Amino acid sequence: MAFQMGEETRTFPITWDVSANKYKIESRGLRILTEGMKDKKIRGIRCHECDTVYIPGPFYCRKCHIEIDEVVEVKDTGTVMSFAVDMADIRGNPLPEKRISAMIKLDDCDAWFIGTVENMDWKDAKVGMRVKSIWVDEPQGKFSDIDHFEPI
Amino acid sequence: MRNVAIIGVGYTPVFVSKRIDVSIAEMANEAANAVFRNTGLTIDQIDAVVQGNMQPFECVNLPYLWASEHIGAVGKPVMRIATGGTTGMTTLMCAYYHVASGLYDVVLAVTWEKHSDGDAQVGLAGIVTPEIFTMVMHGLDLITGRGMGGTSGGSTGAAAYQALSYLHHSGADPEHIDKMAALERSNAALNPYAHLRKKTTVEDIQATPFISWPLRYGHTCPTTDGATACIVASEEKVKELTDGNVAWIIGVGSCTSDPCTANFIEGQITDPAEQESCRIAAKKAYEMAGIEDPSKEFDMAELYDGFAHQSLMYAEKLGLCKEGEAHKLLDKGAFNIDGELPINASGGVFSTNAIGTSAMNRPCECALQIMGKIEGEHKIPKKIKKALAHGWGGLFQYNSVMVLSDTPKKSS
Repeated sequence: MAFQMGEETRTFPITWDVSANKYKIESRGLRILTEGMKDKKIRGIRCHECDTVYIPGPFYCRKCHIEIDEVVEVKDTGTVMSFAVDMADIRGNPLPEKRISAMIKLDDCDAWFIGTVENMDWKDAKVGMRVKSIWVDEPQGKFSDIDHFEPI
Repeated sequence: MRNVAIIGVGYTPVFVSKRIDVSIAEMANEAANAVFRNTGLTIDQIDAVVQGNMQPFECVNLPYLWASEHIGAVGKPVMRIATGGTTGMTTLMCAYYHVASGLYDVVLAVTWEKHSDGDAQVGLAGIVTPEIFTMVMHGLDLITGRGMGGTSGGSTGAAAYQALSYLHHSGADPEHIDKMAALERSNAALNPYAHLRKKTTVEDIQATPFISWPLRYGHTCPTTDGATACIVASEEKVKELTDGNVAWIIGVGSCTSDPCTANFIEGQITDPAEQESCRIAAKKAYEMAGIEDPSKEFDMAELYDGFAHQSLMYAEKLGLCKEGEAHKLLDKGAFNIDGELPINASGGVFSTNAIGTSAMNRPCECALQIMGKIEGEHKIPKKIKKALAHGWGGLFQYNSVMVLSDTPKKSS
């Protein structure tokens, strides 16, 4: 016998006020990164044991589990490790223009940034391609200071 | 450590987009009742209860207490598990630990998700709420997804990075994802407990739009309402309570890596397609189970694939074939229900995804195939002696593995 759904039960719509939450985050590495971005510099933290460079940097090495504090500056060029071509927004609505969103490993560091790659046809995008950061004219110390990446 | 078997499985009557006729607790109750009906056991014969689901999807934070009567937990120890996509298998593993340890003899595991009571995308965002809000405060354009940190297409957008990295390293083509998707959706059409039940061709999949290339709408799992319950028991209780037709859990393993997506605040350092944690979890489970060559010893596998590329990727990570070979086996038909190694005969998570249940339905489907109790035409037409179940979750980082067998392990 096929399953028959029963009578509709009552529904009570609610909203959840996320602003009631006050999250604390590890912010020293984030501050070092965003402060540097005001001068178009990208800075992270290097582990003196395993040489891993984190951006934004935590003040402990996630591999060695030791405290680390060496601030290093890395290049704003990098390599595409993987990418996706966005065709819909976060709610699934189609985007007017297809957009390459890439995981980019910046030179001299181990962290994979996510950023959009522009000024190229998405069909030409490849894992391993080289890209550079395109900065805004007047950086504010925010992630949006890097407007996008472009192929080198 | 004692031998432990799955002695019965109970599903809600259907897995669908919207159960408008029941509450969460009533839905969990349907699954619990089904497993009692299928095993002939009563609540009094249960020593302990483990419950699993993910809190952000419905914003119900103590469901095992709210629904304690509905799942037969009153007067018994009860524990709640939430490990993301792997929740279901971790819940079953927890029940397994209860019995293997010798502390309890018969344990009930109940998992559910009622996605229509919440919003899956909001729930998934809830995993990284502090990170996302911090990024937004620092200039992340969450709405358009453009610029630094920007990504779009929700969870499919995040999975697309993994899919492309997998395609790049394996040599598979995007068309292989279409093919795997069509195979699993067609399997789901045979399974009365699957959600998206439609015989599907590669052309049907290719007619669906891309959400985030290389992933299409047709490569993506649905959000499902449903619940699953399962009873595990010790070897002594198997003799006492059953006719001996059970499925033995002979190996378990789980492992996490660092978060390999959305780890904005400390920086992501791992390829989401690397999945070393899957290899480590599998190694542990195989050692326990005495599996020496996973590419030869399994009669079937149920793999966790929220997105269709993951069946291929995890077949490789779990050692069912060599790296870069899964798509070739797919082309040969090896993963079909009547193939050499049927993968996701049930239709997989890709066709039915009530998240709390998803990783428990994998071992439960293996158990039902071993016991010959599959309802539906997705019964594998050969004797199943050894089966592999896999769960995936977290921030692309957590893997759980379970090996099931028609015979118990010999006591050492």
